[in-house]
Amino acid sequence: MKIDIKTIEKLENLSMVEIEDKEKMANDLHEIVSFVEMLNELDTEGIEPTFRVLDVTTPLREDEPLKTEIIKDVLAHAPKAKDGYFIVPKIIES
Amino acid sequence: MITLKEALTLSNEELKEIKKEINKKAKEKKELGGYIEQFLDTELSEKGEGVPIAIKDNINVKDWEITCSSKILRGYVSPYNATVIDKMLNARLSPFGRCNMDEFAMGSSTETSQYGKTLNPHNPNCVPGGSSGGSAAVVGASLAIAALGSDTGGSIRQPAAFCGVVGMKPTYGRVSRLGLVAFSSSLDQIGPITQNVEDAAILYNIIAGYDKKDSTSAPVDNEKIVFDENKKLKIAVIDNYIDEADKDIKNAINDVIKELEKEGHTIIHKNLMNSKIDVATYYIVATAEASSNLARFDGMRYGNRIEGKDLKETYKLTRSQFGEEVKRRIMLGTFVLSSGYYDAYYIKAQKVRHLIKNEFDKLFAEADLVLTPVTPSTAFEFGSKKDPLEMYLSDIYTIGVNLAGVPAISLPIGKDKKGLPIGMQLIAKHFDEQTLFNGAKIVENIVKEAK
Repeated sequence: MKIDIKTIEKLENLSMVEIEDKEKMANDLHEIVSFVEMLNELDTEGIEPTFRVLDVTTPLREDEPLKTEIIKDVLAHAPKAKDGYFIVPKIIES
Repeated sequence: MITLKEALTLSNEELKEIKKEINKKAKEKKELGGYIEQFLDTELSEKGEGVPIAIKDNINVKDWEITCSSKILRGYVSPYNATVIDKMLNARLSPFGRCNMDEFAMGSSTETSQYGKTLNPHNPNCVPGGSSGGSAAVVGASLAIAALGSDTGGSIRQPAAFCGVVGMKPTYGRVSRLGLVAFSSSLDQIGPITQNVEDAAILYNIIAGYDKKDSTSAPVDNEKIVFDENKKLKIAVIDNYIDEADKDIKNAINDVIKELEKEGHTIIHKNLMNSKIDVATYYIVATAEASSNLARFDGMRYGNRIEGKDLKETYKLTRSQFGEEVKRRIMLGTFVLSSGYYDAYYIKAQKVRHLIKNEFDKLFAEADLVLTPVTPSTAFEFGSKKDPLEMYLSDIYTIGVNLAGVPAISLPIGKDKKGLPIGMQLIAKHFDEQTLFNGAKIVENIVKEAK
């Protein structure tokens, strides 16, 4: 799999991260991806992908409301906040 | 430095003196760069009145600035305690000092920190390891009684080995991850970095246990570690790993194995798959999870927002504060999860992860413990790993443990010709931390007697 500058541009848009030296990033990723392709030599026919290493399922608990002061602390250190809300840039373009 | 065990017998007044002393020494040895406060020229951050424990900068302590050594989180003040911090405060331990680390725990040398270098306490030209390099360096330099680190692919065990201290990664699910800034959620665990094995067990006993607020915390019994040094163990030695390691490491490990046999432990010889397979699997699984976890850093609710002309530009400017290695891993993770490549890379790696777990299951059907080197070499020099892949390969013997979710410990067993510490790794089956600590204590006794 060849990773070129076009792939990097696509990944930049997917991840909202801008890369300054796109050529270097393409080369780095190409080297790493070529390395991880060694996994293709392993026979994994019929093997389940393991997403958890332990044989326990996600436990459930009652959804009980708790009183907490945390909202005040969170907003006090937010980049911008007012009247109990985060202030964010306009999301819907006119 | 006084041990954790001894420190727990002191009064708060006496502990205050020790904290004063640590602050004084941290200023004198500023160039170590183990504490973030050493870069900021401030007193060490402090919480509570008990025994001071240094905290890696990715574990939330209420009212502390927590940054994961990243510019993007500067100004973030934690509104809550991680579960491990609450448990420590209840046990008379007091978070004291923020430890430098690789940015978002992505690295093996602490060189990706946005604050600056942490030096190896045994040689200032060498790295302390990473990503918990600050935690291991302050314990190794007698600037801390003990520390907390986090381990995703070896980030506790490798720096512990490089700095000549003990580092332990618990079974996945044993210690709550609530309040640990997530890097790779299926691999991350918090664990102790200490001066000796007994202290590691003391700190482990305090932080372990089920947490209903962490859905990946394991609802299992949590019996405290009580050492049994007279147990005779069956230990599987991984020959192909030991053969690949540097000569001094190989010799030191073989000396320990000989002594273990003399003391009546049973040694069996085994091989594991090429360890490069572990590395390849890890860099797919870990970066995939990281690219998803790090999506939350958008500057909207916390951290350092950089305003642009619209929302998209604000996101991009804010996220441009990530360092190069973090960006590289976000790119790689985004790639392996993207449409068209997901099955070929991500699903394939998850299947190989199953094979790796099966290998450990097979070993533990025969043996109580598995014995390997921690690293192929001792601490390397700053700037000596020229490309990312070379750096990734320095974690070759620690990564399988995270992929399989088993517990492991790294402890010092000697020094190489250059005077740098050599570490050895013991691995146990899921939730058998008791046998892991027994084995580590037995090895520590052997090393002490040999001195």
